[in-house]
Amino acid sequence: MGRPGGRLGAFVHMDGPLRTGHVGAICLRRARFGLYSPAMSTTTQTPEMEIGAAGVDVERIVAEIRAEADRKIAAGLYDDARVARAERSNLVQLLGEDDFLTFYLKGLRDAVTVDISDFEIHERRKWGAPLLVRFKKTLWSALKFYTYRLWSQQNQVNELFATALDGLEQRYREKITQLEKRVAELERRLPPVN
Amino acid sequence: MQSEIRQPLPAADSGRPALAFVCPRLAEAGAVGGAETLIRRLAERAARAGGRVELLTTCARDHFTWKNEWPAGRREFDGLVVRFFPVDEDRDAAAFARAQRRIGRGEPLTAAEEAAWLAHSVPSRALCDYLRGALASFDRVLAGPYLFGLTSAVAALAPEKTLLIPCLHDEPFAYQPAIRRLFASVRGCLFNSAPERELAARLYDFPPRRGVVVGMGLEPFTADPAPLRKRLGFAAPYLLYSGRRETLKGTPLLCAYVQTFRARTGRDVRLVFTGSGAIEAPEALRPAITDLGFVSEADKHAAMAGALAFAHPSCLESFGIVLLESFLAGTPGLVHAGSPALRALCRDAGAGLWFRHYGDFETALNWLLDHEAERRALGALGAAYVRREYSWTAVERRFFERGLRL
Repeated sequence: MGRPGGRLGAFVHMDGPLRTGHVGAICLRRARFGLYSPAMSTTTQTPEMEIGAAGVDVERIVAEIRAEADRKIAAGLYDDARVARAERSNLVQLLGEDDFLTFYLKGLRDAVTVDISDFEIHERRKWGAPLLVRFKKTLWSALKFYTYRLWSQQNQVNELFATALDGLEQRYREKITQLEKRVAELERRLPPVN
Repeated sequence: MQSEIRQPLPAADSGRPALAFVCPRLAEAGAVGGAETLIRRLAERAARAGGRVELLTTCARDHFTWKNEWPAGRREFDGLVVRFFPVDEDRDAAAFARAQRRIGRGEPLTAAEEAAWLAHSVPSRALCDYLRGALASFDRVLAGPYLFGLTSAVAALAPEKTLLIPCLHDEPFAYQPAIRRLFASVRGCLFNSAPERELAARLYDFPPRRGVVVGMGLEPFTADPAPLRKRLGFAAPYLLYSGRRETLKGTPLLCAYVQTFRARTGRDVRLVFTGSGAIEAPEALRPAITDLGFVSEADKHAAMAGALAFAHPSCLESFGIVLLESFLAGTPGLVHAGSPALRALCRDAGAGLWFRHYGDFETALNWLLDHEAERRALGALGAAYVRREYSWTAVERRFFERGLRL
């Protein structure tokens, strides 16, 4: 199959899956793109550059990867302090993403309360395990007793912050939606430009 | 003035046009960034094609101090005439740094402050004086990158002859009114990628017809990763990063992601670096990092050929020379989605994946590890793409037939 030349716009031709992967159902397919050149309509009819002729549909692979990652995020598989730490230097880059705020507000809501409930205390070492468990339990009780006031106040502050941010986000989102509707309506009323 | 701006190049039968290339530093092996390399390579190819070509640059080597290190004067490098001019000794580096910091913080500058920012950003009166005197003998002046005061000063001498090689990316400096004026004043732009041209259109309403995507050509090579593998001393798959290691290039992010990936999945994926700069990495990752430092081109290509993928975590790129080299070595890319230029190269070549955040990174890396045949297929497509679109023949065609005819 020859490459399309001198045609504006792009098309993709799928020749069928070569292999199905296991990340979601990632399909590796042969794709064929037409030319891609925004400037061509104003300059010349021959392509400036051709892209991805006879290629793998990486956009599809990336879409599958994203869907898989989004599913894992929704399932809480990335609610992990290590991920949060790694993500710190990525925050600036994510600011450009449309769903950045929604994504992080959800994370904030999930993590807003410091967990001060009791938990099961184990001991992996066999020797003296009951004694060690008893010691750890005593330690935890003391720690909880002396820090309860601190953590409960911290939780109160966290919840107030999260609620305020949530409220602000919702309020401005509604406001922006209203303004966008209004702008669209006003633009509709404008006389057509010759 | 307008008629002068539209004045075409000399007719083809009168021979190659006379070209002056201007960039703030001369690219030397392994010592400077992509923009300087790109301008030097284009100048070399133009010189080889015939016609009068000169590369005008400063005597500086270090892009932090801008200290004059090269002796001023004329020299020849592989048939290319290079003229070195001193950076002005009275440059106020502190005033420049202050303005630069303020722009970085998103604070607006007054017109006077902005003028001072440009005036102290690699100024060279000697270079401008020479070019002013020789302007009549040049058909086109090709200057870049956009960020330097030298580029603006040169463009102001003869905007109707100036073709800007902007190497533009979305960063606070690009939003300065002076940069908008620069783009509006010049005859045209030679972009490195379609997303870069789209960014210029978005930021400055730059008409697409005044810009051409040219890029830089790459010489084909073959690389055998086996000897380097032996030297590395491990058999585990590795991600490669080549270039400057700094926060703006995203290398701390890459280290953090790889460390998290290793801890969460238990899979032994290592990191190999070539290039310069300190590697900012978690202590726990240090044993899994191999820093090769500056290496020969052959070793760099071997490292590329042996990598699981070439990782490019930077969001501030207008092009990706090392990414294209990796494609040529048959290795796919794994790039940050925040860089439209890198993403477009991966998409257009069908040879790389891109990630928004750790979740995407982990899933993509697992995919690459688990799909060896597909990974190789991506690499092969990348190599074919570079040979087709970034051979010097293709780049020269775009440069001479389109770029110089703007």
